[in-house]
Amino acid sequence: MSHLLLMAVYAALIGVFFSLLWRRGRREQTRLFGQIFLGMMIGAILLGWLMYFFPTGPAAPIP
Amino acid sequence: MTEAAKSSFPTRALLLAALAWILPSFGHFLLGKRLRALGFALVMLTAFGLGLRLEGNLYRPVAGQPLSYLATLGAMGVGAPYFIARYGAGYRGTPEAQGFEYGTVFLLSAGLMNLLLVLDVWDIANGREEKA
Repeated sequence: MSHLLLMAVYAALIGVFFSLLWRRGRREQTRLFGQIFLGMMIGAILLGWLMYFFPTGPAAPIP
Repeated sequence: MTEAAKSSFPTRALLLAALAWILPSFGHFLLGKRLRALGFALVMLTAFGLGLRLEGNLYRPVAGQPLSYLATLGAMGVGAPYFIARYGAGYRGTPEAQGFEYGTVFLLSAGLMNLLLVLDVWDIANGREEKA
């Protein structure tokens, strides 16, 4: 499964959860959902892009 | 315990919170928040199911790793699904699986989200809610 798709699904689930938990009213819920979803997606892509500047290390050990 | 203390003991809220922990979103359902309960149930089951599908780590305590205890508490937050998967189905997760890390995040998030729902149920049952 695509990592980008999984990230989008995760951001959507978190967005739906917190908009239902923290807001009443469709309009406010939609607004918060958009903020969380876009914040997570754009933030993750931005952070991923910034990580290009760091050298790659050895593979992480399998727990 | 005095009579006054007995009457103020939040038995109903405790029972609802316990039910909310065992069965994700069931507390909201019992409190009459049917639509929200449905939404929460969908989110929770999707996150947990996807975590299992991706063969993520369903945390369990590991001796010498203090953080694993914390993570186990978080994962247990999802209630019955955790125990069914762990003890009923013997689920462990597959570290070599491609989706292992993502699956772990989904499983842990489902547990943490349900813990927040338990707190929300506690608040509603004690009359502290509906400000927003």
